[in-house]
Amino acid sequence: MLTFTLVTSPTPRGQVDTLTRNFADTLIQARGLTKTFGKFTAVDGIDFAVPRGEAFGFLGPNGAGKSSTMRMIACVAPITSGSLQILGMDPATQGPAIRGRLGVVPQQDTLDLELTVRENLYIYGRYFGLSRAVLRDRVEELMDFAQLSDRADAKVEPLSGGMKRRLTIARSLINDPEILLLDEPTTGLDPQARHVLWDRLYRLKQQGVTLVLTTHYMDEAEQLCDRLVVMDNGGPPDSEGVAVGGGRIVAEGSPQQLIAEHSTREVAELRFAPGENAAAAEQISSLLDPASERAEVLPDRVLLYVSDGERMLARAHEQGLTPISSLVRRSSLEDVFLRLTGRSLID
Amino acid sequence: MAATVAPARIRASRWQVVEYQLYVGRRIWRSMAVVGIFTPLAYVLALGVGLGAVVDGHGNALGVPYIVYVAPAFLTAAALQIASADAAFPIMAGFKWVRTFHGMAATPLTATQICDGQLLWVAIRIFANSAVYLAIMAAFGGTERWWVLLTIPVATLTAIAFAAPVAALAATLENEGNAFNMVFRFIVTPMFLFSGTFYPISQLPQWGQDLAYVSPLWHGTVLARGAAIGHLGALSALGHVAYLLGWLVVGLAVARWRFAVRISK
Repeated sequence: MLTFTLVTSPTPRGQVDTLTRNFADTLIQARGLTKTFGKFTAVDGIDFAVPRGEAFGFLGPNGAGKSSTMRMIACVAPITSGSLQILGMDPATQGPAIRGRLGVVPQQDTLDLELTVRENLYIYGRYFGLSRAVLRDRVEELMDFAQLSDRADAKVEPLSGGMKRRLTIARSLINDPEILLLDEPTTGLDPQARHVLWDRLYRLKQQGVTLVLTTHYMDEAEQLCDRLVVMDNGGPPDSEGVAVGGGRIVAEGSPQQLIAEHSTREVAELRFAPGENAAAAEQISSLLDPASERAEVLPDRVLLYVSDGERMLARAHEQGLTPISSLVRRSSLEDVFLRLTGRSLID
Repeated sequence: MAATVAPARIRASRWQVVEYQLYVGRRIWRSMAVVGIFTPLAYVLALGVGLGAVVDGHGNALGVPYIVYVAPAFLTAAALQIASADAAFPIMAGFKWVRTFHGMAATPLTATQICDGQLLWVAIRIFANSAVYLAIMAAFGGTERWWVLLTIPVATLTAIAFAAPVAALAATLENEGNAFNMVFRFIVTPMFLFSGTFYPISQLPQWGQDLAYVSPLWHGTVLARGAAIGHLGALSALGHVAYLLGWLVVGLAVARWRFAVRISK
């Protein structure tokens, strides 16, 4: 299903790592994985596999079942149906053994604010049954890794959001995990803090840690993920009027591959005077190649998904169209995301 | 091929949860000490010594000085009250506000271990508190014989037997914990008043006595007083212990279940 996509469409980063590894070395394998809460289906029979060393992402709007999926992988929420294997084990019966080899960065920090940075790391290591002697060195290393050594004996409470997040990541590494699960690792952080975190995560990846993350930041997905799946909410209610919920995989591949499959090479953004966008789009439509190109009308501008943006812009001018402003750019993962999951607001 | 190296030896246990609480305790030991010393001092002085002087001066028919009669009951009641408080908001915080239990649940620790560890910590704290209480009782002439040392384990058992169902409630509540106020106002406080703390329950009307029989605190008080004064047969002592163990076993089972449900939500 999916591991082969790595061969046909390698990503620039992590490519060698992934290819030289054994493909049979699948750390996470899900088939028909389903999670329901009463009548609500949060995750609706998804299939995916994550090989060792890969950075794998779940993308999707709120309510698409990303976090529910992560909680099943983390062996804290039981699966409803389907199958899930992690590190060759069954979460239902071997939860503690699996959790002993996972690192988890939850969406909301669970740090003890009353304790110091050092104490948080030490205590968490103790939960894994690690000895005091082992922890003494590891805690120092991890504080160094998270750039928190100078705050070692400071209470956690007053630390900045970025520092707390780095501490949470450091804490998740205390047991030297084979898989690191990150649920929206950088939500709510300022750009500087996000870049520092990405740098740390990239280092982990280079060290061979398998990363599984959820995000709704496209730049984060492009930065970190070798391969990702886009999840979306289910369709309209079924025939009996029951909400079917979300949790389906609607696309899968490397960021480049997804862009190639679900968008065009370039996007031309043409802004016309208010109220004129729809008419302009109508006129431009005749210029598009109906097989591969399309136009999208937004209230304030027209987006043209085309192979050559500059040429399309020139032809629009030839048609006598005079946009107030225009911009030609490469297609991004965000275009794919909006194409697949729609522009309507999901709360 | 699948890289299932032998899993790292997992030695996580409920004691690691206790160790965590000790670290937290290091930060709040002052407030714990204030509660642990001020409460017994206030009760032993005001009611044991003060009220005791009045009772003893007006034909005390209890067979022992009033302070000797009432102090073991105070010790047991204090243990139960502190344990219920420790099992209420701190456990709710662990799920809702600080979310430490969700952090623990991501490690090899199981819901049962987290629940047990938390209650074990409460028991340890109550044991230490009761020892301090007993020392203060002794300092004011509230003890008569060495058997009184048994009030410490008796109070701990009574406290944890009641704290276990409170922990189950704390793991269940999703709101801000208003139900705790109901528990304290309508269960814990009346229990203190109607469990033979100040006088034998034979002085109560029948409905009051029936309430006392249900109350774990009455059973604990009878046991503690038996240790402090005597006049308690082995068989009835066993009966009271069995009743408290029943509360503990059922309460712990429900608490473990509620912890597991909450964690997997």
